[in-house]
Amino acid sequence: MSARNAGRYDVIVVGAGHNGLTAACYLAKRGLKTLVVERNDWIGGAAVSRELYEGWTYSNCSYVCSLLRPEVVRDLDLPRHGLQVIPYESGATFTDDGGYFAYYSDHDALRREISRFSRRDADNYERYARAVMRQCRFIKPLLMRTAPDPASNRPRDLAELLYLGRRFHDLGEREMGETIRFWTMSIGEFLDEYFETEVIKAHFAGSGIIGTGLGVYSPGTAYVLLHHYMGEVDGTIGAWGFTRGGMGGVTQAMASALTEAGGEIRAGSGVAEILAKNGKTTGVVLENGDLLEAPTVISNMDVRRTFLNHVDQKELPDDFTKAVKRFKIRGSSAKLNIALDGFPSFPAAPAGAPFLKGDLHASQSLEELERAYDDWKAGRWSAEPYFDMLIPTCIDPTMAPPGKHMMTVFVQYAPYALASGEPWDGPARDALAETVIAKIARHSPDFRDLILHKEVRTPWDIEHEVGLTEGNIFQGELTFDQMFFNRPVPGYADYRSPIKGLYLCGSSSHPGGGVMAAPGANAAREVLRDLGFKSAATSAERAA
Amino acid sequence: MTRYDAIVIGAGHNGLAAAGLLARGGRTVLVVEKNDVLGGAAAGYEIAPGFRAPRFAHLLHAWHPQVERQLDLAAHGLAFARRDLATLSLADDGNHTIIERGEARLAAGNSLPDAAAFAALHRRLQRFAGVLAGKLLQVPPRLESPDWRDLAGLAKLGLDLRRLGAADAREFLRVLLSNAHDVVLDEIADGPLAGALALDAVMGGHSGPRSPGSALTLLYRLAQGGGRHLPKGGMAAFVGALAEAAQSRGAEIRRNAAVEAVLVENDRVIGIRLADGEAMKAPLVLSSLDAQTTLRLTGVEHFDAEAVRRIRHVRCKGVTAKVNLALSALPRFDGIGEDLLGGRLLLTPSVQALETAFDATKYGELPACPALEVLIPSLADPSLVDGSGHVMSIVVQYAPYHLKGGWNDAARSRLAATVLDLLERHAPGLRDLIVAQDVLTPLDIERETGASGGHWHHGELSVDQMLTLRPVNGLARYALPVGGLYLCGAAAHPGGDIIGAAGHNAARLAMKDWALLEERVA
Repeated sequence: MSARNAGRYDVIVVGAGHNGLTAACYLAKRGLKTLVVERNDWIGGAAVSRELYEGWTYSNCSYVCSLLRPEVVRDLDLPRHGLQVIPYESGATFTDDGGYFAYYSDHDALRREISRFSRRDADNYERYARAVMRQCRFIKPLLMRTAPDPASNRPRDLAELLYLGRRFHDLGEREMGETIRFWTMSIGEFLDEYFETEVIKAHFAGSGIIGTGLGVYSPGTAYVLLHHYMGEVDGTIGAWGFTRGGMGGVTQAMASALTEAGGEIRAGSGVAEILAKNGKTTGVVLENGDLLEAPTVISNMDVRRTFLNHVDQKELPDDFTKAVKRFKIRGSSAKLNIALDGFPSFPAAPAGAPFLKGDLHASQSLEELERAYDDWKAGRWSAEPYFDMLIPTCIDPTMAPPGKHMMTVFVQYAPYALASGEPWDGPARDALAETVIAKIARHSPDFRDLILHKEVRTPWDIEHEVGLTEGNIFQGELTFDQMFFNRPVPGYADYRSPIKGLYLCGSSSHPGGGVMAAPGANAAREVLRDLGFKSAATSAERAA
Repeated sequence: MTRYDAIVIGAGHNGLAAAGLLARGGRTVLVVEKNDVLGGAAAGYEIAPGFRAPRFAHLLHAWHPQVERQLDLAAHGLAFARRDLATLSLADDGNHTIIERGEARLAAGNSLPDAAAFAALHRRLQRFAGVLAGKLLQVPPRLESPDWRDLAGLAKLGLDLRRLGAADAREFLRVLLSNAHDVVLDEIADGPLAGALALDAVMGGHSGPRSPGSALTLLYRLAQGGGRHLPKGGMAAFVGALAEAAQSRGAEIRRNAAVEAVLVENDRVIGIRLADGEAMKAPLVLSSLDAQTTLRLTGVEHFDAEAVRRIRHVRCKGVTAKVNLALSALPRFDGIGEDLLGGRLLLTPSVQALETAFDATKYGELPACPALEVLIPSLADPSLVDGSGHVMSIVVQYAPYHLKGGWNDAARSRLAATVLDLLERHAPGLRDLIVAQDVLTPLDIERETGASGGHWHHGELSVDQMLTLRPVNGLARYALPVGGLYLCGAAAHPGGDIIGAAGHNAARLAMKDWALLEERVA
């Protein structure tokens, strides 16, 4: 296939996910001729809304919004481009005895609810909430900063190390210890220190394992919890919300901002190769044969996909390739998107219960969650999966016809490859869906009959459609050995690569996954720095 | 009432080391031990008349050379029957792997595909462990308003790290908090060799090879070089040398003297009371018991609420059991010569199998295939058995403290049967040689040594319970909030395994504090 020249740009971004679009926006706003290329006919990556069943809009992958950095929202003026996030303020775990534990973002309401189960737990909740909030406050400023290389002697790295050391030291002795503990503990053990009621622990623990190849008792999962608590909706810390029109609303707003800034998007053909010669990138060749030239290429794809599939290995040092191969990207999540003929009944919930508008679960205990993880380790999907189930049409009626509903069910754990050797694109996919549906039906007797259409997305499907290796939603495990200056490869945590002009801007880089847009903003800042842009024009750039 | 300068609770290796060092510093010392036998988890005993076996721990691999020198243990009878034992990791197909001084080869002599990769990995881990080695004999640094010693320690750590070179320093920081499963399997294929390395990472702990942080315990184990040594005369002789070293300097040791309470007056420790009501006075009390037990003996009213809560939450779920056998003759292992049998035999077929065994433990179940570390110390040291028989000492990783249904006789027999079945796969006829056998569950370990949960390390050796967080955040510098009361055992930094560093560090600190106090009084 001979490539035909199809244009010349200052910057080409590979992949129109939220991070790719974010990076492109920052660069286009500085006057750089910027192009985003996307393999699918639609844009959005894993922040996407699609109509797969007439009249229903699914948030096919990511489904709720909280982590999106407010700096990015402000810099790109996303609300003006149509972004609207509507908070939901409660959730619940249904118990096997026909009851429920409700979660309210209102502190006092939650305290009252907890005391229905245990007075002691209610007292300890105060301490728990404070501990988690303190950790959120500590980590937040680090999200929009480039991680230093602790082995480097560059003044920039030393200064950043000093900054981190000072920030850490400023916590005071007690909190320094608590921070180390929090970062290295399991969510199970962390919760065991505060609560005695199993269902309360199970409710809180879900956030520690979503998207990971870890169990509730694996050290490091307490930190993952933070990844779900450090967000905000309109300044309300820890709040979660629905994006009007589904998660595609985020990327649509970004695309609009990009177009306004003069950037361009070409969807429908993916990148075949990122060109590199003599250690420098020169552009990309698309699958359709188009050659696009640019001295700067930013990849929104994960690190393994970028360097193992799309870059000539001869251009990469062996050590780097080895480290990339070693980077752990383990698929562990599945997703069901369901069109419902009406609102399913939940007999446990009192009439008009507000928590039905939020996230619903049915995991009873930490042991049930840990066993679900063991199933995954053995190459099976969980017999008793953890799910995070929401009906966004309660709050956002745009997603289904009047009176009808859309349900999104995130499922943990499902392995990328089944130990049985069965492929995912056969009966296994339906069997997984049936496991989940049966579990939901235990708490909603009419649920099964209301199903009009469902989309089942196994890790294999997510990989094939979105391009996330193994279908891992974070573009790589969020474990210590892959965080901060270790993400994705020690020595390359600054969004750069051994190839001059080639950058990473996806969740494979610091600070990792979730629809945060921080890696995209950070990568753009590093690109601008290399291109000699001096003055900081936006808050994300000023943050560094 | 009898008065001493210092009383040490518990005559385990750390208690005895602390007593020896206190006595060496000129203090009058009393050691009180609840058992008739000294040694705690390092004790030896007679399993059957004429058969002397280690009761719990059976090897020395981290014993700190500096503690040994200061106590001059060699002069008090410590000798080694064999140093740097080879490890033999058994394979079901008979293709056993020998690991010796960081090199691996197949017992059959043919070449091992992963030999070079293993050697490189081992060298790298050894190098990384070297960075940590210096921390063992140091009191964990104060993180806030550190003194010059703390700062120097931290600076040295930074310097050591940089001295590794950029590539290794980065790799160190990546591996440090990683898990054994990934660190090992990134380099070599899963099998008995990988399983052996992973077992070293999790031995004694409630953690599986996939648990993040397990790489750090592996590095910890390699910090003293990773060599494993067999004391001449068994663990009893090692403990004997420690006791002798303390007594020769005037320390007194009372056996069968269980402590009922640590006595406190005006927030200062004033002595102890024994179960029989007898009280002894001392301005310094060093407890080699775990933090929870020490708290209980002292009384929660002397600690602030936060300290009590933290200590009660120290994780110490014991998962390691012991099976000891007296054998009428040397068992025959298929395809293994007598020279290799004298080393350390491991039954840990793969990292995967180890993780599966751990999974059962999490739910209070006995795994079908626990990993075993088997020793026949009487091969290297015939003095352990009168006559022609042998003793076999088996560490069983994993057997949960909280076994579903409890540790009744049926459960014990099941554990013994599981272990013997696994061994008979390689040593058919082993059962016929058994003269006597002891099954020691984590519950027995708790009853006999006093370690809460029967945990070998007096608390899980995980990152959130290490260094400045051991045993708990805020109490990591040996001294407890009650004046004159110290932790000197595995509950304190650097934790479990027979190192002696906790005893050493606590004794040094206690003497320093005492000197300050005397100055003030004067």
